Amino acid sequence: MQRNGFKYANLFLMFLLTLFIFSLIFQIITHTDPVSLSTNIISPEIQFAIRLSLLTSVISTFMCILVAVPVSYSLARYDFHGKAIINTVLDLPMALPPIVAGLGLLLIFGTTSVGSFLADAGLKFVFTVPGIIMAQFAVNISLMLRIMRSTFESINPRYEHVAQTLGCTPFHAFIRTTLPLSKNGMIAGSVITWSRGMGEFGAVLMLAGATRMKTETLPIALYLNMSSGELDLAIAAATILILISGITLYLFERKGGVAKLY
Amino acid sequence: MIEVSDLSIELGEFELESINLCVKEGEYFCILGPTGSGKTILLESIAGIYKPDLGSIMINNHDVTELLPKDRNISVVYQDFMLFPNMNIRDNIGFGLKYKGFEKLEIADKVERTAELLGIAHLLDRHSSTLSGGEKQRTAIARAIITEPDLLLLDEPLSALDSGTKSRLRQELLRVHQLKKTTTIHVTHSFEEAFALADRIAIMHGGKIHQIGTPDEVFRKPNSAFVADFVGVENLFHGTSVIRDNLSEIWANGLTIISSTLKSGNVSVSIRPEDILISKDPIDSSAQNSFSGVLTEITRMKSTVNLVIDSGIPFRVVLTKRAYDDMGLYVGSWVYLTFKASATHII
Repeated sequence: MQRNGFKYANLFLMFLLTLFIFSLIFQIITHTDPVSLSTNIISPEIQFAIRLSLLTSVISTFMCILVAVPVSYSLARYDFHGKAIINTVLDLPMALPPIVAGLGLLLIFGTTSVGSFLADAGLKFVFTVPGIIMAQFAVNISLMLRIMRSTFESINPRYEHVAQTLGCTPFHAFIRTTLPLSKNGMIAGSVITWSRGMGEFGAVLMLAGATRMKTETLPIALYLNMSSGELDLAIAAATILILISGITLYLFERKGGVAKLY
Repeated sequence: MIEVSDLSIELGEFELESINLCVKEGEYFCILGPTGSGKTILLESIAGIYKPDLGSIMINNHDVTELLPKDRNISVVYQDFMLFPNMNIRDNIGFGLKYKGFEKLEIADKVERTAELLGIAHLLDRHSSTLSGGEKQRTAIARAIITEPDLLLLDEPLSALDSGTKSRLRQELLRVHQLKKTTTIHVTHSFEEAFALADRIAIMHGGKIHQIGTPDEVFRKPNSAFVADFVGVENLFHGTSVIRDNLSEIWANGLTIISSTLKSGNVSVSIRPEDILISKDPIDSSAQNSFSGVLTEITRMKSTVNLVIDSGIPFRVVLTKRAYDDMGLYVGSWVYLTFKASATHII
């Protein structure tokens, strides 16, 4: 009897939590009727936000891949002094609140000579679309690094050794063996990075600002419309973000493989 | 010819200290040592994976110390096969030829012939995950020898295989070596393996080479306590075997030893010291092997006594302390040895 009581108490709490999460999603989706939901989704403002979010998150994901592959390869394969410190620094953005990272970015690009040099060269990040991409990159790179690092660590370096003895340069050996073998980790990392880029709010708000129809990504659209009382538009943006989360979770479960997320 | 001179390297917790080696053209050379002795690092340094801190490596009179692995004309076979999982067997075997500038047709032809040599021609279109351990290692060997390297490096190539496959593949390595005469360095922790394969052996421990010699020299005249301990007290010797009446008769240094393992030709034989019975008078038994000889060495261990008895071949025998005391033996005693045909293993 006592054993059953314990079991049912645990199960009850589990069902309660499931119900809680289900209802918060259900509330958003059912708050407006399907007709007005679809009208709001095809409204110019939400269409703009979808396109901008897609564009910026795809670009920032590619940037994350390009940087994460060589950097995480270094962390996985080479031994050097200060590796532990570098590792901690590179992991930091993952633990840092995005809004704090955004503040740092704003200070770098808005107040330093590096920032003004880049601005003079035509690369303006403050309150611009490139700023959105930079903010997404800065917040998500740590996660990509971790996934790629554990992926590379799970691949025996001897594949490359064999390829090198058979005529490959070190770079070619990597391209022919380790890189194709890291496909699943790279897909998993890209999906999660892309999805977090779509949803990134705090850092984007700080660096790129929240300007309607200019730097208005989906989360910014949600925030702007909530502030101005346009609940239906906010819900349209939220519904799309929910949809993306669902797709991401599904893809990640299927392609996750060796890459462990947290 | 391969010459390693004063090679030193430090890699994390591993270290090689002033290694000197010379491997002759066409020689089968074994580096023997326990786990962690640095033998794989030595092999990978010769391959060019690691750059030595000091010293030089010469292959056929060319200094390759500063060259990338691809420019050394060498091949490596690892214990865990390392077949590229993103390619089928055909592409695995042909991998090296693509980088050496061979035409497609030529590659296809060479792959076919090399696969036939290793008995894996029927597996060419399969994926490596569907192969057995022995088939995988044959593929790895094919991939290594197809480029006709000046030096073949084998890192514990038999260690991941079950015992039956191991002995078949050992024969295969010998056969391929006799056919191709490729200079080979084979790293292993099994003395038995080195004894059966090597022209010469280097014993390695703690990042240093302790002794280099023929298998017999290293086994009969270990130059340090470590080498003696590592090669063990097994009785090992080479002989010529013929099969007669469902038994092998092995002729070794004037003795004819009977074994129940059936194998003919040049063989290596092992007999465990505790399987040999010794007595002061000849004994009448069903055991097929019975010899006599002079007791030449007595070593007292904790609970046992190790004896060496010379009857043409020096036999190592282990006795309990009690049995030794009861027999009243001394160096120079004439004793009789008896052991069964089933205790004589051909490796």
